[in-house]
Amino acid sequence: MAGVTHGDIVQITPDAVAASLARGDGGFGRNQRSYYDHPVLRGAHWRWEIIWYFYIGGLMSGSAILAAAADTFGAEGDEAVVRNGRWLALVGAAISPLLLIKDLGRPERFLNMTRILKLKSPMSVGVWSLLSFSGLSAIAVLEELRGRGRVPWLLGGLLPRGPRNLAHALAAAFTGSYTGVLISATAVPVWNSGRRQIPAIFVCSAVATACAAQAALLALRGGSARSINKLERIEFVASLTEGVLLVDYASSAGETGNALFGGETGQRLRANTLVGGIAVPALLNLASLFTKPSHAGKPNVVKTLIAAGLTLYGGYVLRKSLIEAGRASADDPRAALRQPE
Amino acid sequence: MIDDASPDMGFFTDVTLCIGCKACEVACKQWNQLPSDGYALSGNSYDNTGRLSATTWRHVDFVEQFDRINPAESRWVMMSDVCKHCTHAGCMEACPTGAIIRNEYGAVYVQPDICNGCGYCVPACPFGVIALEPDQGVAQKCTLCYDRMKDGIEPACAKACPTDSIQFGPVEQLKERARRRTEELLARNVPARLYGVDEDTSVGDLNAFFLITDRPEVFNLPPKPVLPSTYQPVAYLSGFLATAALAIVAMQAFRSR
Ligand code: SF4
Ligand code: SF4
Repeated sequence: MAGVTHGDIVQITPDAVAASLARGDGGFGRNQRSYYDHPVLRGAHWRWEIIWYFYIGGLMSGSAILAAAADTFGAEGDEAVVRNGRWLALVGAAISPLLLIKDLGRPERFLNMTRILKLKSPMSVGVWSLLSFSGLSAIAVLEELRGRGRVPWLLGGLLPRGPRNLAHALAAAFTGSYTGVLISATAVPVWNSGRRQIPAIFVCSAVATACAAQAALLALRGGSARSINKLERIEFVASLTEGVLLVDYASSAGETGNALFGGETGQRLRANTLVGGIAVPALLNLASLFTKPSHAGKPNVVKTLIAAGLTLYGGYVLRKSLIEAGRASADDPRAALRQPE
Repeated sequence: MIDDASPDMGFFTDVTLCIGCKACEVACKQWNQLPSDGYALSGNSYDNTGRLSATTWRHVDFVEQFDRINPAESRWVMMSDVCKHCTHAGCMEACPTGAIIRNEYGAVYVQPDICNGCGYCVPACPFGVIALEPDQGVAQKCTLCYDRMKDGIEPACAKACPTDSIQFGPVEQLKERARRRTEELLARNVPARLYGVDEDTSVGDLNAFFLITDRPEVFNLPPKPVLPSTYQPVAYLSGFLATAALAIVAMQAFRSR
């Protein structure tokens, strides 16, 4: 349990000595690059709970942003986007804290998170942002119900519509992007070398997966073709931006990026996120870009569902790969001992 | 009782004096009642522990440097590693509960009754020191023997060290002594340098610092530790810009007819 790992153990064998002499580094054991290849850093212990927390966090914040935007700027027919978005946000806001709590070493002490607000700690600001988001999502759904006469007794109009949407969207944007800051601002090389891209990638993926989920819901429940068209346009831009940022991340991280972009992790990320989750859905959605929403014909349910499924899966693989790459990177002494730029 | 008048206390660990007896490791385990880590043999010199962990707060590195061309140049370097009690501590900045504090002796201390085991301090330490202890579910590391210091006793490791390779005292005084020691060694052609003092890094000077005789990498010390929070501004900006851009896209899309 002491974290002893056996990398390339340096042992004094005749071969090792001969190799060392051949290198001309003065004999065996000089010019060591690390201490027996033991990890220098420690990775985050995060497992499936946090992968899903990142994923659902993105999905729910993207949904809330879309709902707020549709409520503010949308036309007739976009009501379903508002309604579904608010409900998705609330469901997400109900699940995420449970995942966070489950992940703690001492779950019963979750409320210690609210002892203080610490601006320097992304974990602290994140928890506060999540809690505000949950509250605002509950208000949004209550307003939704009140608007349809389901709960006439409500205090209603607690906040006027404009500020309410704005606050919900802002809390959502912060909740969806702080997780990117959370991992970027660590000593883990593969994460901090992506600090320029990861938070933006998370925001793009949040919006893209939310568009996909919403479009799928609309397609399944016979929703408006215009709304689907609009969602597909937004998804197109968001996921292409995500793709460009991922490529930029891969090229700027260099060797340090190997934990994420190399080997099996890299292959899985390229296949499921870059190609499957971004390029293919973008091609499928391409037509929507050239059709005005008012000219959108009957929604192609099968196409929409395929595109949505691929996007949603790609977003999941993105979170999973990033979290697992963080551990691999922390365990790699070469990455940790490389001079930072 | 809080004694604000106490100067910052710390360790000066000098590898040139370490004989690898591991008395510090044992004394730390005993005093702090830390459990055994098992009996695995690593095959790496006399070091079967490997590195610091939630249950090992002092750890002695055994660096073997055998020179086959000039055998007289061969050497063994031992270094007793410990939490650095950084001036700007990544772990403390990261902690969302405020469990990690700087105590009246300038030490970075985890309050075990407040920590909820979120584990965020772990990847935030630039030295890979702090770790989660699975049984208690909280983060653990060297306390600079807070309990002993309150009674005016020096930490267990420094007390046990037979060669004064580990020296405990007011940090400023230790730094002075360490600078003099470095000059002395350099005059005798020993390639000595201080690690964690007078260096220009974002973690600042280390209250537990080291005199080493090779590159820091040889002891698994990062050559230029970076305080993780320095990455925050650009990361927040990244998220903000993407949000602003997508907000405009969403507005345009929902407005289009
Ligand atoms: S060495 Fe790591 S655990 Fe120790 S004070 Fe510095 S950041 Fe915290
Ligand atoms: S694990 Fe404990 S000490 Fe570490 S950041 Fe979380 S609450 Fe703070």
